[in-house]
Amino acid sequence: MLELCSPLNSKLQAGRFGAQGETGIALGGRPVRDLWQIAGWGDFEAAAIEVLSDLGLCGLGSYSLASRAKGRTAWRIAPDKILIENAGNLSDYMSANLATLDLSHARTVILLSGTQARDVLSQLIAIDVTETAFPEGRFLQTGIHHVGVLIQCMGQNAFEIYAPVTWAETVWEVICENAKPFGVEIVAD
Amino acid sequence: MIRIKCPICGLRNETEFTYGADATVKRPEMGEQEQQPWVDYVFNRDNPRGWHKEYWHHVQGCRQWVVLERNTLTHEIGECKLAREVEQ
Ligand SMILES: [Zn+2]
Repeated sequence: MLELCSPLNSKLQAGRFGAQGETGIALGGRPVRDLWQIAGWGDFEAAAIEVLSDLGLCGLGSYSLASRAKGRTAWRIAPDKILIENAGNLSDYMSANLATLDLSHARTVILLSGTQARDVLSQLIAIDVTETAFPEGRFLQTGIHHVGVLIQCMGQNAFEIYAPVTWAETVWEVICENAKPFGVEIVAD
Repeated sequence: MIRIKCPICGLRNETEFTYGADATVKRPEMGEQEQQPWVDYVFNRDNPRGWHKEYWHHVQGCRQWVVLERNTLTHEIGECKLAREVEQ
């Protein structure tokens, strides 16, 4: 069997980088777990609600707030498109009204945290990421260095950044360079 | 700086979007036999000064197509709707 290896393998080397003193930023990574996209057409909503309720998630969700239940997370990323992590295998739900797609090999997660995490984000994207505008539970889709990403706020100073695996190294490098003035700790497990 | 209020994502920087096309162009009926309406449809565009409707794609966001009102003279941005919700 082929062993799945993180696109960030060469980056995830524990160490301390950038400015000396206290570290304002911690950077890490993790693979996505069973990340599926469901998409559809006219009857998308009914078909999607069936999948979501089977997974213990209720409603279609909002375009800015992730829904969570039973260790699963769902993001309504467009009117007819929802991403679900920890979804198991959704291929059986494929129908004329619903297209299911396994994106587990297409995305990886960059973990950005630390007291200066919001400062780093505000250097990277032109969106208000203060705690009032972007609190825990909220997500946004944007571009970092022109790479499309989904950023999930996990807490006061913690974010998960879903990046395409093909561009994950680039996104990592841009985040890391911007984080260095704050002092960076790379956390590898 | 142009900012566009995406109906899905909220107020975003114009750099997240790409321009698509003139949203006022209407395709002739499929049975149209005259050449000129097709030539106009494919090639000819007005170049208005003032308010205009354009297709934009929120490519670094929700990836939806929107119809955006934009003032070509002042760069003011008006209403922004999902293209799927705009009647052709
Ligand atoms: Zn959008």
